[in-house]
Amino acid sequence: MPRYELSVILKAMRRPETAAVLRRTVETLFERGAVVRGLENLGERRLPYNISKHNCLHTHGGYFSVDFHASPKILSGLLDHLERDIDVLRPTVLKKDVEVSEAQCCGLQNEKAKSNVTSR
Amino acid sequence: MFALSFSRLLLQAFPKQPVTPRATAQCIRSLKTSQQDPLEKDDMPIKMENPYKQPPKTCILCNITVDFKNVQLLSQFISPHTGRVYGRHTTGLCGRKQKEVSKAIKKARSMGFMSVTLKNPQFMKDPDICGIKHFE
Repeated sequence: MPRYELSVILKAMRRPETAAVLRRTVETLFERGAVVRGLENLGERRLPYNISKHNCLHTHGGYFSVDFHASPKILSGLLDHLERDIDVLRPTVLKKDVEVSEAQCCGLQNEKAKSNVTSR
Repeated sequence: MFALSFSRLLLQAFPKQPVTPRATAQCIRSLKTSQQDPLEKDDMPIKMENPYKQPPKTCILCNITVDFKNVQLLSQFISPHTGRVYGRHTTGLCGRKQKEVSKAIKKARSMGFMSVTLKNPQFMKDPDICGIKHFE
């Protein structure tokens, strides 16, 4: 199963309420047959821009990231569900790519040589 | 010196005579080398890697993973006045990393991690990678 990352911004709430929202979200994932790998808290910060969602303007939010494995079919349903959740400001699901080998990194010299050749 | 030139003259005068090595300063050296061959081979330059070889040129972000969550790193490549992403000629990154950075910045902006029109004031004091002089 491909590996996904759900990075979600929650409304700035107190701890028990945030915990309840996260619990809800993870339970939704389980219901749809996803295997949750881990949950990370990226901190509560001031949003880079005001987000108006569910008839309310928000300036602060809690950032969380959920790592999970799932079938691609559930993603649209999952995003739809999260959009309807009042406490979730911005849900985004990304595919986690396999890391590119670093051995090929930085052919600065090769690039310059190539550009010189093409310019001639 | 005169003896050497004289011996050369003799050789030129009588070319058909068998040239026997004479015990002159020049000849003594040739005599020695003919007996001990390995000496000549030791005189040859030793094959080794270039000792003055410089390390391969890399860009700043070589071997550093670029992530959309790492807003501080990404903010170093945007203008503090307008929040626009700097071009390759400004950042000095290699093609691959420049693409990664610009993709990550756009991702971060749409996901609500990074601002579009400005640079986070917390990151204003970060070291200047791009080397641009801003009016103060």
